[in-house]
Amino acid sequence: MSSQIVVMVFEVVGNGICVSSDDGQKVHDQIAAALREKKKIKVSFLNVESLTSAFLNAAIGQLYGKFSEETIRESLAVAEMEQEDLALLKRVVETAKEYFSDPERFKKAREDALEEKDAD
Amino acid sequence: MKISLQEIHSNYEGFSRLIQLATQTAGCFLDDIEIDMSHVGWIDANMCAPLGAVLYMVGRDINSIRLTNVPASVETILSKNGFLCNYGWTRKNDIHGSTIEYKRFEPKDDRYFADYIEKQMIGKGIPEMSPGLLKKFRASIYEIFSNSVIHSQTKLGIFSCGQYFPRKHRLDFSVADLGIGICSNIRERRGLTLSAEEAISWALEGKNTTKSGPIPGGLGLKLLREFIVKNEGRIQIVSDKGYWELSEGTVKKRAFSEPFPGTIVNIEINTADAKSYRLVSEIRSEDIF
Repeated sequence: MSSQIVVMVFEVVGNGICVSSDDGQKVHDQIAAALREKKKIKVSFLNVESLTSAFLNAAIGQLYGKFSEETIRESLAVAEMEQEDLALLKRVVETAKEYFSDPERFKKAREDALEEKDAD
Repeated sequence: MKISLQEIHSNYEGFSRLIQLATQTAGCFLDDIEIDMSHVGWIDANMCAPLGAVLYMVGRDINSIRLTNVPASVETILSKNGFLCNYGWTRKNDIHGSTIEYKRFEPKDDRYFADYIEKQMIGKGIPEMSPGLLKKFRASIYEIFSNSVIHSQTKLGIFSCGQYFPRKHRLDFSVADLGIGICSNIRERRGLTLSAEEAISWALEGKNTTKSGPIPGGLGLKLLREFIVKNEGRIQIVSDKGYWELSEGTVKKRAFSEPFPGTIVNIEINTADAKSYRLVSEIRSEDIF
């Protein structure tokens, strides 16, 4: 069994136009499920043509409300991203860290995450 | 009821006229509404998005809408972009490929919207745009649509339309929604009471966001602003009674006497922009998290 899970964004979304929050949520759900199982994950953006902050906020930004920065840094990797898309993802990650630095938001997101886990 | 419409350009006066139309028709029910277009010597085709939004709202209250005395030049352009198809005209062929079709979308239509943009942008081609610029432009349009879907809470749809002006090297694209507006959104979600134009400013600055759920937000409009500044284009945002414009590096804010029943975002792109949109320094994927 491979030690690293590969999430192909193109395959999850169904095409290379990754712009909606709902599609980002589908990617997020796969990443979050693998992180909960303590797996290493590579998210491949191969063949992705368009990306928005809304998509990346849902796919990756919200992970910071559920997992520690350390867990994300150690377990998550992105690949096959163009430079401009990496720059956008970096902004999204910085915004997410800032967003969840508000203790109320972080607490609420953690509670929601625990409810999700219980529902699994 | 008979209403006479005037010329509609993408400027404060043009938006004022659409607000006036919305105000005059508010409360009409089971009415026959004639919109006399004889004084509309010009309409910027992208303004079909907010005009369509206003007329859609009128039509929803079971009023019949008749556009009359449409000047031939206006009829031609609004038949090419499909706007007049909603009011009894047939579509005319756009042989120059300069129109970006008028469409109404449901908030859940994000894939349909993406398909529309790809066909309108790529299928027709905007010849003078560099690939880097085209990518930024498409991303900006998707950011605007996502922003409407996430923040407007609209149930009446999202309206879009664009026009390419090859001689001016400009492309205008408008997105309008009939949602709660930026000002009410900020008041409801953040408890801040701002004037409508200050509310728009707030939404475009720093790390401000009205998001409160598990998904962070607040980047879309800021990315749009950064891109437009670099491109030397223009953004106009109308929401409630507020008007906010960024052009040539200068922000102008004004208030209308009556509100627009939602939000309009109009962007104008400098299509001759030859600047590189590549990053100056390399970002390594290992440094993201």
